[in-house]
Amino acid sequence: MGSNAGGFDFELVKRNALLEAKGVPPPRAWKTGTTIAGVIYKDGVVLAADTRSTSGSTVADKNCEKIHFIAPNIYCCGAGTAADTENVTAMVSSHLELHKYATGRQARVVTAMTLLKSHLFRYQGHVSAALILGGVDLHGPHLFTIFPHGSTDALPYATMGSGSLNAMAVFEAGYKDDMSREEAMALAARAIRSGVYNDLGSGSNVDLCIITAGGVEYLRNYEFLQAKTYSRVFPVKYPPGTAPVLKTKVTLSEVAVIEGVESMETDS
Amino acid sequence: MLLDTSVLEVRYNSSRAEAEPLGNILAADGAAAQFALPAVKDIDAFEREVVEMVKPSHGTTTLGFIFQGGVIIAVDSRATMGSYISSQTVKKVIEINKYLLGTMAGGAADCQFWQRNLGTQCRLFELNNGKRITVRAASKLLSNTMFSYRGMGLSMGTMVAGWDPTGPGLYYVDSDGQRTKGQVFSVGSGSLYAYGVLDAGYSWDMSVDDAIELGRRSIYHATFRDCASGGTVSVYHVTEDGWKKVRGDDVTECHFEYYPDPSNHPSTGTPVI
Amino acid sequence: MSIFEYNGSAIIAMAGKDCVAIGSDLRFGVQLQTMTTDYKKVYQIHDKLFIGLGGLATDTQTLHQRLVMRHNLYKLREERDIKPSTFAALVSAIMYEKRFGPYFASPVIAGLEPDGSPYICGMDSIGATETAKDFIVTGTNSESLFGMCESMWRPELEQEELFEVISQCLLSGIDRDALAGWGAVVYVITKDKVVARTLKGRMD
Repeated sequence: MGSNAGGFDFELVKRNALLEAKGVPPPRAWKTGTTIAGVIYKDGVVLAADTRSTSGSTVADKNCEKIHFIAPNIYCCGAGTAADTENVTAMVSSHLELHKYATGRQARVVTAMTLLKSHLFRYQGHVSAALILGGVDLHGPHLFTIFPHGSTDALPYATMGSGSLNAMAVFEAGYKDDMSREEAMALAARAIRSGVYNDLGSGSNVDLCIITAGGVEYLRNYEFLQAKTYSRVFPVKYPPGTAPVLKTKVTLSEVAVIEGVESMETDS
Repeated sequence: MLLDTSVLEVRYNSSRAEAEPLGNILAADGAAAQFALPAVKDIDAFEREVVEMVKPSHGTTTLGFIFQGGVIIAVDSRATMGSYISSQTVKKVIEINKYLLGTMAGGAADCQFWQRNLGTQCRLFELNNGKRITVRAASKLLSNTMFSYRGMGLSMGTMVAGWDPTGPGLYYVDSDGQRTKGQVFSVGSGSLYAYGVLDAGYSWDMSVDDAIELGRRSIYHATFRDCASGGTVSVYHVTEDGWKKVRGDDVTECHFEYYPDPSNHPSTGTPVI
Repeated sequence: MSIFEYNGSAIIAMAGKDCVAIGSDLRFGVQLQTMTTDYKKVYQIHDKLFIGLGGLATDTQTLHQRLVMRHNLYKLREERDIKPSTFAALVSAIMYEKRFGPYFASPVIAGLEPDGSPYICGMDSIGATETAKDFIVTGTNSESLFGMCESMWRPELEQEELFEVISQCLLSGIDRDALAGWGAVVYVITKDKVVARTLKGRMD
């Protein structure tokens, strides 16, 4: 437990399975309901994603980031269980960084793809990450989809997540070979928008990431679609003393001795 | 009188014709209302599903006791749906008539509907017989109704309290069809806590004021420990002149009245800050 | 019944102008029974860093002890306090390590970064992080807490008003939760001090 060996810790699996067998439902993990998309154009790749994260029917995060950094020339959109997409991309990113130090070369997109798929395959779909990997390397622009069980596809345009059908409809209607940067950005943003507006699991805003041989442009909230529509004209203001305080204790920062659990008790 | 064994027969059948005898039993019951039964094979399994779906409010603390000065009824006022507090101001004492009270525990709708139905039956009794119904008879009417629907998913734990020519009366009636006469009762998820205080403080000879305070304190302590009980504590006093509502206090106000210094409270062992 | 509802909890963290606040209810219960009302779910890691742990008490206590240990190790190695954002990454890693057998806990982290900017962050039970600029809530009735915070929070709240806003959100939120409440505690963290206050709440 808590060793530095890395990997998963199955210590509590038995206990939790026992509870589940007794009828206690397992906890709800945050999901990225999600519309994610990617498209190859003339000189690179455009990745796009919505920004909603959900926990059951509650929106857990209205503006989360689903386009993850893998390497300076590779990014990855993630759908599925939020913790899995975040951690699997971070892990591969770390592997590639080490790989770069070992080889002295820029990472290739297929390398990232192979690392991701072999990890996902090993866990037989239990690590539930559905990914769209995009990047540009010495062989030019690449776009892959990677499914939770470890299968992959190399495609000119791809969509994933609960809004993938909405987004794919837009791609099928509007994709052309060798689009310009502006055309590709507009198409990808429109694909995500159709997910945001028509898929309940997706929502809020559109993030874009344009990867070319010359560099990356990460456009966070490229389209800000769902700002709060209502805010109080006269906000409720509570004057000091509104809350019924029973006891107050002030601890000055410089004086406090930091000892973990009991560090509040500076005067005892 | 012959025993009416038809209630023991299988009567929930998908065919309407076979469900007919039930209508006759209820009609024989006087004013007992009837509702259509679902046309399903296994009514028990169906009802279990329904109960799971509508999740009636089960959390409650109610109590009642007889002493020298009459009958005391005290209840909380919280309704919950799972862990969500759907109301803090539920009326859990049902005023059947001037001399009769019913308390509510279990399914709110079941209690309200059937106790109102009991009120109707009691009034019909008065009109038919030219005299007031006894607590004993009223509680039996309710338990008969409960028994006729036994096993069909009703959920009700109630006390019928009141005053009749024989004196004070207190009966426990539930949806299993059980009916028990008694001197001290407490019903609901917080009843064990209430019993603790009630039994410790009860005596037959206590004054009316002491009895009211005992009822109030018992409910307060139950609301403190039982998270499905809370809101306000309502206390009713029944005498030969009928019932009277004597208290209606917010339990949080009771708490700070009983424990003005929160740090002296027994469940606050260590200072929080 | 979800295992998160076994003990009951309500936690809010809120960001203000150069300050953050974090608070929790005080109930420790076992299902419907309230055991004690002096059980705070917010722990201090150092001067400018607090963590709230909602969920199953046995797991939150274990998790807290591991976090204290890891912070102590960090201090020995680095001879400084951990940054809130670094600490969040640490908590996330510890939670994700148990991806297939998680701690039944949902952490809320609140602190001030070395540059004085507020940092608040929430997590699910397997370490998916969410950093927010406004507020983070968790608990047995997070819907009500979300609703209160969504309507009451404003940008750039000064420390005194931040305290009032978080207190109202917490107290009103737990008034609709049978499994949390029985008083509350709120910490307001600024660059030079921590102000801790206990609040009078409903006791049912």
